Amino acid sequence: MRRNMEGIRDAQFLVGDEACLAAMERVPVLPAFSQPAIEFLSGLSQKLRRDPVAKEYGDILSYAYWIRRASLEQAKEACAGWENRLGRGIAFHITPSNVPVNFAVSLTSSLLAGNCTVVRVSDKVFQQVGIICGAINQLLEGECAQMKPYLCILRYGHQEEATRALSDMCSIRIIWGGDQTIEAIRQIPIPPRAKELTFADRFSLVVIHADQYLKKDPRQVAKGFYTDTYYTDQNACSSPRMVVWMGTEPAVKEAKRIFWKALEDLAAEEYPMRPVQAVDKFTSLCMLGMSRSGVRLRSKNTYVMRAELESLTPDLSQYFSKGGLFYEYTALRLEELLPVLTERCQTVSVLGVEKEAVLNLVFANGVRGVDRIVNLGETMTPSFIWDGYKMIEEMSRYVFRQKE
Amino acid sequence: MGASDLIDDFYSFQPYELEAEKKEGLLLRELTELTKFHQEHCRAYADFLEMTGYDPAKVQALYQIPFFPVRLFKEYDLISIDRKSLFKTMTSSGTTGQKVSKIFLDKETAMAQQKVMIRILSDFWGKKRLPMLIIDTPDVLKDRAKFSARGAAIMGLSFVARESVYALREDMSLDLDKVRAFAEKYAGQRFIIFGFTFLVWQHFYQELCRTAQRFDFSQGFLMTGGGWKKLMGQAVSQAEFKRRIHEACGIRHFLDHYGMVEQTGAIYAECEYGHLHASIFSDVLIRNYRDFSLCPIGQKGIIQVVSALPRSYPGHSLLTEDEGVILGEDDCPCGRKGKYIQVLGRMAQAELRGCSDTYAEEHGRDPGRAVSSR
Repeated sequence: MRRNMEGIRDAQFLVGDEACLAAMERVPVLPAFSQPAIEFLSGLSQKLRRDPVAKEYGDILSYAYWIRRASLEQAKEACAGWENRLGRGIAFHITPSNVPVNFAVSLTSSLLAGNCTVVRVSDKVFQQVGIICGAINQLLEGECAQMKPYLCILRYGHQEEATRALSDMCSIRIIWGGDQTIEAIRQIPIPPRAKELTFADRFSLVVIHADQYLKKDPRQVAKGFYTDTYYTDQNACSSPRMVVWMGTEPAVKEAKRIFWKALEDLAAEEYPMRPVQAVDKFTSLCMLGMSRSGVRLRSKNTYVMRAELESLTPDLSQYFSKGGLFYEYTALRLEELLPVLTERCQTVSVLGVEKEAVLNLVFANGVRGVDRIVNLGETMTPSFIWDGYKMIEEMSRYVFRQKE
Repeated sequence: MGASDLIDDFYSFQPYELEAEKKEGLLLRELTELTKFHQEHCRAYADFLEMTGYDPAKVQALYQIPFFPVRLFKEYDLISIDRKSLFKTMTSSGTTGQKVSKIFLDKETAMAQQKVMIRILSDFWGKKRLPMLIIDTPDVLKDRAKFSARGAAIMGLSFVARESVYALREDMSLDLDKVRAFAEKYAGQRFIIFGFTFLVWQHFYQELCRTAQRFDFSQGFLMTGGGWKKLMGQAVSQAEFKRRIHEACGIRHFLDHYGMVEQTGAIYAECEYGHLHASIFSDVLIRNYRDFSLCPIGQKGIIQVVSALPRSYPGHSLLTEDEGVILGEDDCPCGRKGKYIQVLGRMAQAELRGCSDTYAEEHGRDPGRAVSSR
């Protein structure tokens, strides 16, 4: 069958070409964790980690570290029944315009799952995309030529025809980019057997035990928290929008003072806030304030705007903003968090609080939210498990073989 | 307690009579009262005040009155009067799909707006009511129940005018016969030409050029507002605008203004030196975006506007989305007291990182909000 490739005529191929894309439907899929895929990804890891230009970018480095050989081998061990898994066919990834390295994270699981992988990156140009695609092309033209039929990366804007053509040929479609993007792209059908993975809008929060915090270096913690939040304009799903304090009363008081001061200093130094953001944040805060009593603005500085809450309710997430607006709450028990652990809650990061305790809270109460429990400072670390999905498992097919 | 009773004190002064200290005293007393009034009559506003930690006992200066984000008039129906006393609802001129501000007026507030507008404008063109040529179509007034910003501005001004003539037809084309008749009837007399800046440019000036019509409008006051950005898009600066209009029809008196539907009446009108002046009924504070502290004269920041007029809705102290600068206070060569400002336009939007794609627009931000911010 010859596909109509008209729709993608305006797309720019950063990796692969039209012929490669057209041939994908006939290319045999690979088993999960295939040797060529592992060679390719670990090769990419090495290349990026040695590239002086790539090393300038923290997000590239963290990606490169994640796809080093040892990490891929660990992922294989963690993937139950990987021997029975293979690619589903063509995986079509629609990646967001605002997180430069996300496209690479998405294609990594896809290749390890064994798929022919087609990635759309947005027309917003990021240096990181160019650097990673450059390294990929060198590998595909050189020692990893075997992987060439398995990867195309295209750049186009919001052209529906291109998305339609690619959706028409895929076996799995992966949509990043939040609720509105998902809603728009879901208007475009995929084949009956195809499955879809969507990454909707989520929010996250951090729980800090004040007494434990006071034993740490405040600047180190501030740095980690800055990476969790301001590094992505506090606009990633994993960025904490709420800070929950636990611990003894004097410790909480002292910890708040030190924590926010350290963050203010760092943000004032490093965060390029635009004037309109101060108004945006203040407006969100006012909307929260107008929706209930018991909200108190606690900051003068607009880089780190924060308010204390007297109670937590499920509608709180309507009033979150980005770019440095935090709602704080002091809890005596973890159970007090339950009202905000809605389906939209993605990551609970912790400092000085047992992850096991949070996990138990989720299970004991049948909580709909909370897909990740990680350390403060590590919410952005790439992972093969995201948003409650084991990515490689989701993107591959498991062949059941009845016992002899 | 009507709005007009409350600002009675103000009417004993000329609109640009008071120097800083006296004006601050008068406005501070009024605004503290208004804050208390809205706290008692608008629940959402009271919760807002609580959030800011407002304590009236600690207020010693105007800048300590909390500012309320102007965008919230798009999100909520904010009203401090019994709905039975509702006289009219004004909306901002958003285009289709945009949220519009809704401003609820009782009779007293609406009347105070008129009265103040008249007092401010008569300071510029005299107490005599003048004929007015409106560069717009009468259709903007059609739906009286819902006043658009354009309609509201025209209605407000027609109270100041002796006779109002609409220069544009329903299809926005220029009715040259009407303009000619107006020019002949009032030849040699003072009169007003009023229109939104972009409409004046596109449907009046450009039509005059295209049809090579010459009029003598040297006695006219051209009052404009809003839309400088749109003109900048056509590479027309304010100075260029004035020069070209002067060439085309001899206009020498230009009176631009800054104002918004959320604070109708207390407009900031342009003097002969090109400065926008705050009258005694209102004031401008410039806020530093880094901590919302006050910016000194000459430093750019976010514009906060306070007005003594809003009684039926909590709009007496607003944080706008415009940037501006105070050029000076009490010392404009035109002789008017009070602050004079320059408006630099809408703040640029921030492009943020994050997982949510840019298909989505920011909540409620749109370029068509202000009646006449420029």
